[in-house]
Amino acid sequence: MNITLLKKEIKSNWLLLIIFLAVLTMYGVMVTMMYEPELGESLKMMAESMPEIFAAFGMAEVGETLLEFLSGYLYGMLFVAFPGVFIIILTNRLCAKYVDNGSMAYLLAGPGKRREIMRTQAIFMAGCLVLMALYVFGLLAVTSKILFPGELDMAGFFYVNVGLLGILLFFGGAGFFVSCLSSESRHAVGFTSAVVVYTILVQMISQVGDKFENLKYITPVTLFDVEGLSLGEAKAWIMCAVLYLTGIALICAGIVKFDRRDLPL
Amino acid sequence: MENIIEISHVTKDYGRGRGVFDVNFFVREGETLGFLGPNGAGKTTTIRQLMGFIRPDSGKLSVMGRDCFKEADKIHALVGYLPGEIAFIDSMSGMDFIRFVADIKKMNGLGRAQELIEMFELHASGKLKKMSKGMKQKIGIVCAFMNPDTQVYILDEPSSGLDPVMQNRFIDLVLNEKKQGKTILMSSHMFEEIERTCDRAAIIREGKIVAVEEMEKLQAGRQKMMEVTFASSDMAKAFAGEIHGAQYTEGARKVSAKVGKELDTFVKKAGRYTVTDWNVQTQSLEEFFLHFYGGEEGKV
Repeated sequence: MNITLLKKEIKSNWLLLIIFLAVLTMYGVMVTMMYEPELGESLKMMAESMPEIFAAFGMAEVGETLLEFLSGYLYGMLFVAFPGVFIIILTNRLCAKYVDNGSMAYLLAGPGKRREIMRTQAIFMAGCLVLMALYVFGLLAVTSKILFPGELDMAGFFYVNVGLLGILLFFGGAGFFVSCLSSESRHAVGFTSAVVVYTILVQMISQVGDKFENLKYITPVTLFDVEGLSLGEAKAWIMCAVLYLTGIALICAGIVKFDRRDLPL
Repeated sequence: MENIIEISHVTKDYGRGRGVFDVNFFVREGETLGFLGPNGAGKTTTIRQLMGFIRPDSGKLSVMGRDCFKEADKIHALVGYLPGEIAFIDSMSGMDFIRFVADIKKMNGLGRAQELIEMFELHASGKLKKMSKGMKQKIGIVCAFMNPDTQVYILDEPSSGLDPVMQNRFIDLVLNEKKQGKTILMSSHMFEEIERTCDRAAIIREGKIVAVEEMEKLQAGRQKMMEVTFASSDMAKAFAGEIHGAQYTEGARKVSAKVGKELDTFVKKAGRYTVTDWNVQTQSLEEFFLHFYGGEEGKV
């Protein structure tokens, strides 16, 4: 690993991370606060008045417990989509942008191998995603503890966040892979956005009604089975493992491809 | 003498005639080799392959006996590289960037950076994004030359964007490195720069090396376009009659001719008349070489 580069990436990206953590904090705390019996009732009434829209956002069958409430309202959509945007921006910055503007020549100017440079970038990205998942877990655990002591099933909630990290690693892996292959920033941003938007959009449509239910088999978000994870179902864990492995495999493939490719520097 | 840089039968085909084809030359230890050719001839493509950024379709490139693609990391540790299209990390200040590159090169401290900054009168504290082309070029030069352990320099149009004073200082810098026995390959458009620094020159055109020659031999064949204006058209006519190959239009006071080795005779002959104006146009490097090595002149 290249410590100089790692320091540089931390310095240039901490603000981006903070901004996204702030957005997640806002939504996280707001939604947790809504878990008041009366407010919950009104949300439910809203949900009944427009079931398709709520279903699209994965909020159709939000149950009674705080865990079901949080996983339904946050982990079905918001906590996947916002980090997705973060990943689109970050993965571009970690490789394609350097190649596009030519400064990659300077990252490679030292005695470091290409592989070593990209491994550093991969570690940095994975670090950001782990931090993000840990942060939202910690944030909501503490918020729930303060507002509704004893209400949240901590173990189940932790499992949901383990799954969240899986889908983030999957997006991260896809974005990283594309970024490693791109000579231009716009290609990296374009393809990664396409992956993120596609997966989320298809998932939304698949949840709207029975007619489109089969669409869920062509989006990876289905592998992030929030309900199954919170209940500790074996099938959910296997699907979660698939997300992790695919993400890691994509990152490794990106590094290997980058190692062998022609760079326009 | 050992060959430090070796390029043998390298082809990189980008299709539609673009790329480099069967490029073959070497740079000896302690030698400075000028790499010349028109835009798009393949200079940068060759240099990128030397730095291991792109892999040749066929052929072999090595620096100090190491394969340029497979052992790029080891080569980068020995080489000072100045890219042709300079690009930095815009959000950094000039000084931060120089420090960053020094760290990436695993140098102890900044080496000769301060000395170079003073030499080129560089104000490195501002943000890179706001810097002029010349200023950025200076930062690139500092980054390429700051490591005192560097043995080989690969420079892609190193003095582009510099003003004449700085171009001269750059030539001094190169000559100084040469004195210390460093090996240098540089592409350039500046005749003076190549003339004053290089031992040999390799000329590339349309992706193919057309000649590798000793500088002295090339200089001997170089011609200048002289344009002499005389006090009267009679004088001009008489003078034109004395010079072989002179261009003269009836009634004009101007005579122009291409002059090479016979410069002294030309000047002395003209001196016998009253000269009112004298223009000298030195051929550009590319013009000159391509004229010599079978290029169609209009195409240059």
